[in-house]
Amino acid sequence: MKANLFGKKIVFYIAIILVWQAIDSADIWPDNIFPSPIEVGEDLIYGMSDGSLFYGIGTSMWRLIVGLAIAICGGMILGIFMARVETVNQTIGSLVLGLQSIPSVAWVPLAILWFGLTDVGIIFVTAIGAIFAVTINVYTGVKNIDPSYIEAARNMGAKGSQLITTVLIPAAFPYMITGFKQGWAFAWRGVIGAELLFSFLGLGFLLNVGRQLNDVSQVIAMMLVIMGIGILIDGFVFKRLEDKVMSRWGLR
Amino acid sequence: MGKLEAKNIEKFFQHDGKPLKALGGVNLTVNDGEFVCIVGPSGCGKSTFLRILAGLEKPDGGEIMLDGKKLDDTGPERIMVFQEGALFPWLTVRDNVEYGLKISGIPEKERNEISNRYLDMMQLTQFANSYTYQLSTGMKQRVAIARALVMDPDVLLMDEPFAALDSQTRDLLLVEMQLIWKKTQKTIIFVTHNVPEAAVLGSRVAVFSARPSIVKKIIDVDYKRPRVAEDENLGTYEKEILSSLRHQGPK
Repeated sequence: MKANLFGKKIVFYIAIILVWQAIDSADIWPDNIFPSPIEVGEDLIYGMSDGSLFYGIGTSMWRLIVGLAIAICGGMILGIFMARVETVNQTIGSLVLGLQSIPSVAWVPLAILWFGLTDVGIIFVTAIGAIFAVTINVYTGVKNIDPSYIEAARNMGAKGSQLITTVLIPAAFPYMITGFKQGWAFAWRGVIGAELLFSFLGLGFLLNVGRQLNDVSQVIAMMLVIMGIGILIDGFVFKRLEDKVMSRWGLR
Repeated sequence: MGKLEAKNIEKFFQHDGKPLKALGGVNLTVNDGEFVCIVGPSGCGKSTFLRILAGLEKPDGGEIMLDGKKLDDTGPERIMVFQEGALFPWLTVRDNVEYGLKISGIPEKERNEISNRYLDMMQLTQFANSYTYQLSTGMKQRVAIARALVMDPDVLLMDEPFAALDSQTRDLLLVEMQLIWKKTQKTIIFVTHNVPEAAVLGSRVAVFSARPSIVKKIIDVDYKRPRVAEDENLGTYEKEILSSLRHQGPK
């Protein structure tokens, strides 16, 4: 069953590459507009051999991790307070919903003005693009906790921060995972978007370099890398975390 | 002076924007080491009364005294066993049972010793490392009872803990509950809507009236233990409880 699924995927991707190669061989568009998969592959190999690709991936990942970590910590604090303190929800809660609707690249001009063309600026865009998705999911998760868990814990003497760490966070964790997953997706878009506009190292920068050099195969190669990293993190980090939490909590 | 005294407890609920009186001045004195069952028509507020005793809800009138001292919050000397157990699904059986001890900062070695004792008492030792979703409803309630007992409370408050169990499991737990009571000498207040259950467990049975509830009658069940549900001699007590439940009059 699992091998079958994997086989299907392999066949599908090979088919895409073959169709791509066929279109290229038909010579409908010139090579500088529509490169062949081989050219794109060569670009990837070249990027790997001179290390620029790994350096780009490393830079983007580092910014992503810092930005996402800030978003997760901030989102958890904000979400828990919104869920537990009605006044916070009525005031900050409405603002969070509004801010959530701003695409992360729309924060770029402000980030450049505040922080200049620096790592801090890009991390700011990454974090702010992800924090509200985390906040909203954490809020929903804490709101949906079976009240008897909280009562039982209080009854056994849990108070304040003990209640938060031993009950609120673990009880809301299945929802929080969803928040982290959404947060990561927003953060990844934010990092790449910011790097494109900041033009300051990273995969987004390499993508932009490709455009400036009129090098379509470099552009496509970088897009494939961005997608590939997305698939890897989704599948290996979040899917596994989710499966583990779901089965532990008895939800699956 | 009783162990736990409820004096003239009143509680209102909002119903369609209007206050609805759920508890109309409940008086109940429970003596040290007594097993008191509370029965009443559904919606009479018997669970609310228990939650007030636990300090999980505030009464709108009256007061609760424990050993003659007025109470106004929840405390580890009054531990509640919830209807659905309220076990934490992210913890193993052992960690669930040790939760309250961990919260109060008892070191792991000591925690393990205490939890081993109660896991053994509730016949849960072989399930110590299981997660709660792997357990049957009856097992879950055993864990919930163990989790409450490790706290060594003065008063154990039980809110229809056997309501969701099949009758075989319930019969078994009814007998065990009496043995646990005898062994631990706890004061137990047990809310149920099941009359035979009240007759089996209670040394006294407090019958609540319909809303606004008061303690309408207290029936002494003076009969040898351990009792079993099918014992016909309990029938007289059951009849007495049932007839006082029935004579509510329209409200």
